[in-house]
Amino acid sequence: MVQFWIVVCRHTSWPLHALVDEYGFERPENFNYETYEEFMSEYLKVLAKRAKKWSDIIGEGRSVRRNLTVKRYVRKGIPGVHRCSVWLSVSGAEELKNKSPNLYQQLLNDQHDPQVAENIRIDLPRTFPDNIFFNNTDLHQRQLYNILLAFAHQNQEVGYCQGLNYIAGLLLLVTKNEENAFWLLKVLIENILPEYYTPTMKGLLIDIDVLVELVKLKMPDVFQHVENLGLPWPVITTKWFICLFAEVLPTETTLRIWDCLFYEGSKIVFRVALTLIKRNKQNLLACQDFTDLAECFKEITKDSIVVKCHEFMESIFKVPGSLSNSTILKLRQKVEQTHKEQKLAKTSR
Amino acid sequence: MASRGTAQRPNGTQGKICQFKLVLLGESAVGKSSLVLRFVKGQFHEYQESTIGAAFLTQTVCLEETTVKFEIWDTAGQERYHSLAPMYYRGAQAAIVVYDITNQDTFTRATTWVKELQRQASPSIVIALAGNKADLGNKRVVEYEEAQAYAEENGLLFMETSAKTAMNVNDIFLAIAKKLPKNEQTGNAGTSGQGRRLVESEGQKPTSGNCCK
Repeated sequence: MVQFWIVVCRHTSWPLHALVDEYGFERPENFNYETYEEFMSEYLKVLAKRAKKWSDIIGEGRSVRRNLTVKRYVRKGIPGVHRCSVWLSVSGAEELKNKSPNLYQQLLNDQHDPQVAENIRIDLPRTFPDNIFFNNTDLHQRQLYNILLAFAHQNQEVGYCQGLNYIAGLLLLVTKNEENAFWLLKVLIENILPEYYTPTMKGLLIDIDVLVELVKLKMPDVFQHVENLGLPWPVITTKWFICLFAEVLPTETTLRIWDCLFYEGSKIVFRVALTLIKRNKQNLLACQDFTDLAECFKEITKDSIVVKCHEFMESIFKVPGSLSNSTILKLRQKVEQTHKEQKLAKTSR
Repeated sequence: MASRGTAQRPNGTQGKICQFKLVLLGESAVGKSSLVLRFVKGQFHEYQESTIGAAFLTQTVCLEETTVKFEIWDTAGQERYHSLAPMYYRGAQAAIVVYDITNQDTFTRATTWVKELQRQASPSIVIALAGNKADLGNKRVVEYEEAQAYAEENGLLFMETSAKTAMNVNDIFLAIAKKLPKNEQTGNAGTSGQGRRLVESEGQKPTSGNCCK
């Protein structure tokens, strides 16, 4: 069975009615094959066109450089076959890897903290149990263990944080190479994202409140409604930030988001979150109570808006309106200051 | 939030629905999500995905005179997610603190959760202690008597449970439902220890087979 899927996966024509997607994830029970087929009939044309464009700039063994053309191309989606190499080059992971070509192997050979190793081991069978690669072969679990352990060992402040298992797992499915997955994980956690995964999760708490500020600014009615019904924002958004939409949105949509994330940075997470909220604004506002609202926030990560990944990715650059790096930076500083003051007030009480 | 409608009898007992917020706390991989999955959907997965942040579900149980609707908040177990926990237990009327009977550290962690709830949560919160993975009796390290004595000292409901075999899973939720105050006062689940009382309507029929038999 697994062998069969592996063979099929290497081909571009993925059977639309397959019970798993091309990355090995089982389709949800209520998966709407009709909508999906309709979408794919268009998307396959887009993919073919993009594949041609990319093959013109990315020859055999050549890696892409960061420039406006590549940025535009990335926003329109990196073909699966080029994803690993483009992520490595545009994120700076490749440069780091070339500087320390033996690092990964050394990290694996070192003595590791047994507690950290145990915490990782517990989560291995709990990572994508509905993915045929993770639940049917030991290989993926062993590779995932290596990536997470090597990462934790070289970044002892972060160590192992639950959530990293999903990110590293998806990186592994895309790159099919544990060392490349390790470098991409490292550059993502240490260079691209703020301190989401440290023991205090300081960066996460800040960015959740930055998102709240942005919602307040751009959709005051939604902000007020969520406040009125008493649903705390971290309840809704923690997983969005921690998993970078892996295990939240459909796989292809998540990977299209990651294309931009590796090129443009953590700002993309806000764009996606704001788009999700804005495009579902009427449904959210129609919720009468806390329970409905919590359900609705779950629903909006599964509906046809997000399945149609190409259109969704176009919309994240339009729907939320302007969102500059300096705006995010200022908001992060403002929120951090507020958090400091709150903490101070709490301790002096 | 709560209101009285025509479906309600004048004495306010029949057809009454009370809504309560319940939070699950405990160390990573003790079976919090599995208990919820068993209770809400009657399912069990040998390998349950690790919960990031929190998951939200609802389930209803019927007592003789009232229907209790639980808003269930299932939380992430890893220590670093601790800073988010107060958000989940704030305003909760009930908590299930879970440990794994095959792992002593998870019991110790459970006792620190209980202390935190007693100190920080609503004073009237109903706390249940669940010694999960009771099907793994041959690997037991936390004795039943030890946990029971601790629960008694602290005024907690206590049961050993197995999400895998379903042992005591509905029972622990039912025991909590029975212990929760369901008197005439109404309040908001977010602010007081009192459950929100809703008026029964067609859209709120209790769901699964463990209810209203």
